Amino acid sequence: MGVQQSPIPAAARRGDGNGPIPPFERIVADYGPLISRIAMSYEADPSLREDLTQQIFLAVWQALPGFRQDSSLKTFIARVAQNRSISFVTKQVRQPRLAELPEKLEADALNPEESAIELNEREMLLEATRKLPLPQRQVIILVLEGFDYSEIAEMLDIAPNALALRLSRAKAALKSMLEQT
Amino acid sequence: MSDFDLDRLGDVWRRELDPAEMERLQRTAASVSRRARFSQIFDIVAGVALSAVVIVLVWANPALETFLMGGAAILVLLGSHIRLRKLRQVELKSLAGSTEDMLDQSIERVGTTIRHNRFTLIALGPCLVFGILLASVADRGGGSLPILSQDPLVHLLLTGGPLVAVAGVFIFLFLAVRRGRRELERLQAMRETYRQERKSSGQ
Repeated sequence: MGVQQSPIPAAARRGDGNGPIPPFERIVADYGPLISRIAMSYEADPSLREDLTQQIFLAVWQALPGFRQDSSLKTFIARVAQNRSISFVTKQVRQPRLAELPEKLEADALNPEESAIELNEREMLLEATRKLPLPQRQVIILVLEGFDYSEIAEMLDIAPNALALRLSRAKAALKSMLEQT
Repeated sequence: MSDFDLDRLGDVWRRELDPAEMERLQRTAASVSRRARFSQIFDIVAGVALSAVVIVLVWANPALETFLMGGAAILVLLGSHIRLRKLRQVELKSLAGSTEDMLDQSIERVGTTIRHNRFTLIALGPCLVFGILLASVADRGGGSLPILSQDPLVHLLLTGGPLVAVAGVFIFLFLAVRRGRRELERLQAMRETYRQERKSSGQ
């Protein structure tokens, strides 16, 4: 019978230096795509990915009251999403399927040809990312999401030089996989 | 895809979701937060209702025994509430921490669950034998449960039902231990991957 405070009133009450945490609806609008992409890079099966996305949203909803604002909200959400995805993947008996796209990935404002190239490129990128070993996959996802290296090192709890080494290995592995496709 | 530039790949990766996909995400999130809120409210209402029932029962039977039993029931309720809340906080804390810490905690949790299930599985046999012996002694006495020997259908239900339930529990625990072992193996393999990665990075 675990009773948690709802993050929205808690956020509204917390008037600390970094400002209140935005309401959950705002967080979904701002970081929903990030959550969706992280779920996509860990789970290829559409129905399982839907489960995973729901679990990530729930984890973020429950974890928000504990957010101490010692990092950015985006960092916090990415960390929760990655960890939830990893624990989700370990619970699956079968190995994650390698290549399957969500129903809709088409890009706006592109002509059909450009859109197909973009879709194909993204499909290949996702497929290659899913094949990477977890420590390298984490690094690549965070780089592709646009986090800077100090944030990534802090998120993964590793030294900057170790991050550089891991990233160079991840890049080499990703490059070789993309060249094979 | 021979053009390998992470900045450009980042742009491809972060390409905006189309409005329909975004709307679907927002619907999913709204439904998750609605269910979570409902679950919170349900927890509070159920806790208050159970406590109220216990208090009414104690009030209606003002004896020392009912007072002690009622007090114990409320304490157990409160204790389990606090324990579950703490467990959830630990889980959420590990989700917001580093992946390696989360894996360590998951390994510990799954290991504890396997040990607990394995112990229950082993204890089930002796408990079943003890229960059958106790029932046969009670049945031989004749007077304790007279309905057992009078109605054959009730007799069958009362003796066969628990056996089926015990067999069900046995199978459930057996499968849970097997599933837990597989999960533990996967977690340990994953932990080892991170350890190797750290080692090879000179950390």
